[in-house]
Amino acid sequence: MTWGLLLQAVISGLLLGGVYGLVASGLTLIFGVLRIINFAHGAIMMLAMYASYWLHALGGVDPYLSILLTAPLFFVLGVGVQRVVIEPNRRAAEHNQLLLTLGLALFLENLALVLWQGDFRTVRSAISGTSFMLGDALVEGARLVACAGAVVVCVGLFAWLRLTDAGKALRALAEEPEGAALMGIDVTRIRGVAFGMGAACVAVAGALVTPFFYVAPDVGESFNIMAFVVVVLGGMGNFLGALLGGFVIGLAESLGATLLPGSLKYLVVFLLFVLVLLLRPEGIFGGARGR
Amino acid sequence: MATSYRVSGGGTISRRGFLALAGAATAAGWPAIARAQAREVKVGYILPMTGPLAFEAQISLNGVQLAVDEINGAGGVKSLGGAKLTLLPGDTQNKVELGNSEAARLIDQGIVALIGPFSSLVAYSVRQVTEKNKTPFLLLAAVADNLTEGGLRYVFRMQPNGKAMSTLTVNNMLEMARAAAVPVKRVAMMHEDGNFGTTMGNHVEGFAKASGFEMVQRIPYNLKSPDFTAELSKIKAARPDLLVISGYYGDSKIIAETAAKLRIGVHALVGLANAAYSNPRFIADNRELTDQLFDGNYWHNPQSARAKAVFDAYQKRFSQVMSSHSVQAYQVVHVLRDALERAASTDRDRVRDALAKTNLADHILPQDAIRFDDSGENANASPALLQVQNGRPLVVGPARFAETKPVFPVPKWKG
Repeated sequence: MTWGLLLQAVISGLLLGGVYGLVASGLTLIFGVLRIINFAHGAIMMLAMYASYWLHALGGVDPYLSILLTAPLFFVLGVGVQRVVIEPNRRAAEHNQLLLTLGLALFLENLALVLWQGDFRTVRSAISGTSFMLGDALVEGARLVACAGAVVVCVGLFAWLRLTDAGKALRALAEEPEGAALMGIDVTRIRGVAFGMGAACVAVAGALVTPFFYVAPDVGESFNIMAFVVVVLGGMGNFLGALLGGFVIGLAESLGATLLPGSLKYLVVFLLFVLVLLLRPEGIFGGARGR
Repeated sequence: MATSYRVSGGGTISRRGFLALAGAATAAGWPAIARAQAREVKVGYILPMTGPLAFEAQISLNGVQLAVDEINGAGGVKSLGGAKLTLLPGDTQNKVELGNSEAARLIDQGIVALIGPFSSLVAYSVRQVTEKNKTPFLLLAAVADNLTEGGLRYVFRMQPNGKAMSTLTVNNMLEMARAAAVPVKRVAMMHEDGNFGTTMGNHVEGFAKASGFEMVQRIPYNLKSPDFTAELSKIKAARPDLLVISGYYGDSKIIAETAAKLRIGVHALVGLANAAYSNPRFIADNRELTDQLFDGNYWHNPQSARAKAVFDAYQKRFSQVMSSHSVQAYQVVHVLRDALERAASTDRDRVRDALAKTNLADHILPQDAIRFDDSGENANASPALLQVQNGRPLVVGPARFAETKPVFPVPKWKG
């Protein structure tokens, strides 16, 4: 074991962790406000990746630029899905809501399969092939951009939650739904906004990973499960916790790959997950307080 | 005949007795006539049409479809009065329980044979269903060796199994290295951690001592992992001469890309039954990356005129280059057609016996005649060693099927 390998693991882990953090941020935002676990999160990300892919394939739009189109589009889509699918079932039992989002995920994945077949598609951005060495460690341009972009979006989202009226209303709703309604906040609208913001988060994440990844109907799964672990780790509904948790999980994954033999890297991740659930079920970053 | 009229004991046969006899005679004769006039032979397939392997499943199905339409267009199964093949579909979603239930459903619908199911894990379970129902099961893409173990009578595998695939591929590589006077002493391997990858890994590792190389790193990985930089850094640090990769499409793409950026420093990157490295789509999408990649895989015989015609037909119909999955799928349907012709029956046991006696020389694979041994394995099965050159995967070994000379060692993978 050399320092070079460790450095490589730390860098790879952080770069991947930023993306996990952004995906998890959307998930935790939706959970914080709507109190539902959105199993369709990965599927929405997959749709967004296809959107970026098609904008590139048909319109020659760089995947990074496609964010300008896909983020607003998926915000609207998210609001629509919330209004049509989630809202009517808001008072249903928790397990029914769980099944609802799971069903939505299955529907979206199979819709993608029908529309675009199971083909793997790749998008090359100008930056896809670039990389540089930091000491002994490889830094891929596209992964660096993805991580930086994810952090910027997370910070922007955090500022939006803190500083704007809509953001404050959203936080109020997450903290005290009845109180928020009594204060005259249009809670139905805000619930839609929360889901829309969550969908926009994965639209950005999808566009950011497309240049170094591939697009296929089940591609969301690679990020979805990790995002769930991150959300639990960071505290359900804790926004900053999601970003930090993303880095922790990214690091755990790549250090696990370096230090343990074979495919045991996820053992570290899920061990961490179980430990947090057992010892600190409110999350390592202090539950919902960090919102 | 007269004696038979006396059976009712009354001296002459009663009217009712005669009718019963006549009825029995007709009933005995009728099925034979019905069979001779059968207009269709039902063939079932089970593939992971939805889920993570949907892409591979679709190109496999394309091959099956091409062969079926070709056979039907040429007058169906002649010994069955020109009966047409009818495909009955099944989707496993790559799940064991669905594989079983879909297989059982298709058998209930009267198929003469089952083709599929891609994944070894699913195949391992489905073969119990086909065995119990005495239905020939022609394996597609599933390479795990244990699928033909256990004295099963109805399982047949045309393609090379894991052992043939891995040992013959590594052998081909070592032979090529010797010819180029570049010794290969240290081999590293990455493989997906399912049954397929693990089988390959076990064979390469088990083969190491006898072949005189050292396995310096062996890393199984999860197919869904989005990053392999840490794993490949470990491999680079072990300074291997060859990096062998057994994986599916998306993971293999990310591995090759990261290996290139890391300047992994090997003589060659070699896919072993890799779903991407000799895949025309992958090569077209990643021209620079794929140039001079090796892959040991099931393939067609580039010297065969028939193969060329089949490829043209495939290209015309599906607007893409035929890949190895489609070749296997196409050929397996023709193995079944050949057995049906010889069996002259849709009886599953007769079809099974005909399959067991297969000796098919007219095929498009890089091997001698297709024959099945007692366990149901194709005794002559052989993979081809391919190298991507100028955007095309070309056969570079075994020598009698080679269409060009290999580039080895590959300069761009050297540090």
